Amino acid sequence: MAEEKDETRGLMKTESGRRLTKILTDDYLNLHQKAAGGTFVVWVAIIVPVELFYGFDNVVFAVPESHAALSAAKGVGMLQCEKAEQYGYSMDICSYARIDIGTAMSGGKDSPTFGLPRPHLLVSNNNNCSLLVKWFDVYHREWNVPHFILDVPFCYEMQKEKDLKYIVAQFRNLVQTIEKMSGQKFNIDRVKEAMRNSSAAARQYKRFIDCAVHRPSGITAFDSFVQMAPLLTSRGRPEVVNHFRLLADETEEKIKKGEFPVPNERYRLLWDSIAPWHQLRKMSTRLAGLDANIIAASYTSCVGSIEGSYEFLQEYRDEDPFESLARIQNFSVCPYGLNLRFNAMSWAAQHYDIDGFVFASNRSCKVYSVMQMDLQKWITEELGIPSIMIDVDHADVRKYNEENAFLRIEALLESIDAKRSCA
Amino acid sequence: MVENIRQAKANGAKVVGCFPLYPPLELLHSLGLIPFVLWDIKEHARILKESDRHIQSFTCSVVRRLIEFVLSEEGKLLDGLLMYNACDTLRNMPEIIECGLEERGETLPLFKFHVPMTSPTQIDSTGYLADRIRELVIEIESAFGVKFSSERFLASVKLYNMIRKLSLELENLVAEGRMSYADFSRLIKNGYLMSPEDYLSALKDAIRQAGSSQLKNIADGRRIIVSGILPPPDALCSIIEQAGMRVVGNDVSSQARSYSHIPQEMSDPAGYYADFYRKHYPCTTLLYLSDERLKALNELMEKRNARGLIFIGEKFCEYEYLEIPFLSKMLEQKKIATLQLEIATDDEDNVEAFRTRIEAFSELIRSS
Repeated sequence: MAEEKDETRGLMKTESGRRLTKILTDDYLNLHQKAAGGTFVVWVAIIVPVELFYGFDNVVFAVPESHAALSAAKGVGMLQCEKAEQYGYSMDICSYARIDIGTAMSGGKDSPTFGLPRPHLLVSNNNNCSLLVKWFDVYHREWNVPHFILDVPFCYEMQKEKDLKYIVAQFRNLVQTIEKMSGQKFNIDRVKEAMRNSSAAARQYKRFIDCAVHRPSGITAFDSFVQMAPLLTSRGRPEVVNHFRLLADETEEKIKKGEFPVPNERYRLLWDSIAPWHQLRKMSTRLAGLDANIIAASYTSCVGSIEGSYEFLQEYRDEDPFESLARIQNFSVCPYGLNLRFNAMSWAAQHYDIDGFVFASNRSCKVYSVMQMDLQKWITEELGIPSIMIDVDHADVRKYNEENAFLRIEALLESIDAKRSCA
Repeated sequence: MVENIRQAKANGAKVVGCFPLYPPLELLHSLGLIPFVLWDIKEHARILKESDRHIQSFTCSVVRRLIEFVLSEEGKLLDGLLMYNACDTLRNMPEIIECGLEERGETLPLFKFHVPMTSPTQIDSTGYLADRIRELVIEIESAFGVKFSSERFLASVKLYNMIRKLSLELENLVAEGRMSYADFSRLIKNGYLMSPEDYLSALKDAIRQAGSSQLKNIADGRRIIVSGILPPPDALCSIIEQAGMRVVGNDVSSQARSYSHIPQEMSDPAGYYADFYRKHYPCTTLLYLSDERLKALNELMEKRNARGLIFIGEKFCEYEYLEIPFLSKMLEQKKIATLQLEIATDDEDNVEAFRTRIEAFSELIRSS
């Protein structure tokens, strides 16, 4: 198929984009079909180790957070939030949760994927946030579905051995729970296969986002946001490895051909928070018009890593799957503290040659946002890199003001210019 | 109440500020330290100058005031801090506090431990908790040059259990109308910034006084329960009483959720805290007890013959707000009227806006 060239700068339409759409469409259709056929359905929080489910013949998983992100990106986030609010859920609650609750309570109406099939089991974890546990409790109570809580201790330092053992014990317990509930036997070799695929997919994804190292960057962070979906909804499958390999190849090829999302890139920025799902194209296009590019984001750079790092550290070499999965449980920024976040962001600043930081203060996500004020001060003072803080809710467009945000972004660009002229 | 801390320090005591909600006070006390729980401290952290330099305004008042207190002049009275994984916001505070103190060239030992949040149907995590408690003991011993003693621990357990029993007794007297809920709330609040010995005396005095005071009946039996992380502000308590209602019981974290379970007395802290946390009165923040919440509320409503429940919502507390719709729905199915009020950091002085709704609620339960 010939590749379309979208004249709009910023987020570009690509062959990989089309392949991604097909993967996600097929995945959601497959999920509904299998659920209708009686397959054991598990709803999971994003960092629950889904590779464990590949150890069963007939278990599928759905990821409400990912579905909520997709809903926000497709423009139905606010509508679903309002439904949840009509059910009495406060507007101060995370917008992912409100979108999901609104979708579920209306039977999937207005969802881009017809919602998610009802689960037989809910599996949350509390290291990203405990809100996830309370959110899943809504369904536990409403539908009388068992709720398994993975209790993963927060990392102020690198994960401790005693915590790893504790997590491993819970993973084994989870497997036993599914065996009991589904009547299926667990096969660890299939889990190992899934883990090889997850590791390979993450490695290829990392190759893709490392295209941002090139000047000008071969991608925008918005590309990385869009492309991360299969890592949440479908990781463990060989098709996902193939997709990310092709994506990385395609992007490297574009760089060789001199095709860049922001050809006159003058400002290389790093975004700290969840993706602003309702602004992907708008924000990337407007930034491109200013010759600015958010080339990296903590939200996606952490993929394939462990706490306190954005480097690829999830190489799977056939070790004990339970231990390997437990080791990587805290990669996703929110499970670790200020010191570790500073380490990771400092590395990124150098690796991607960042000119400025955009801290997106997100009312829906306290775990991401609440330490940003001190992180911003520290990063700016230590690295001498300009930064701003803007208010952006990742999925509720009502809590975002574009003009307000861009006023600050433009001020950031001026700060970068001023710093350059003093250098 | 900060005077109590100053006094304790003047007497040579070491003072540890504890993050809410349910820190291991007995353990600290047994090690010769005086624990103070840093919540419901509006009087000591009115203006949030320091707090606003470090955390956004969309965090709850409990955390904002805690940060303010610790980073203010009064915070210098503390010899240490202790916290556990009580909530998402609190777990992010230690390093923020470190940053704030570092700006002043200060440090403060901050003890952290993890309370398992696995559900009762999952693996038994008491072994993990036991190890965390033992580690905590060693850390505190090393930081303060003190030595743990089983006998002193048991004595501290008995002391705190006595406090819990007397708090329950006082709550009964409030239900009977012998003490106002506002006075009760004030006493409990002050108790968090007193030594346990002084608090015990204050409770005994209050019980004596309330016991001999005249019974105050309320017309039409407008008996209600309040639920939330913190009690309603004083002004709101007055409005509730002026509307003809009596708060006959509570499901408040800083009140009944803290004292309703009397843990089994034992000299081994590992065993004690297994009981303390696992069998705790259900709270939204104790993730593994969420299935018990409705049952506990129903039992409370029945015990107190209450006709209505007012949720005192702590703004930005997702734990509470993800449960309130379900609890409201269930209670209303049992014909128990509910009212939701939201209290933000700056709302405590502006409660008049709630008067009409509270009066309407009072009429509603009168006619039910």
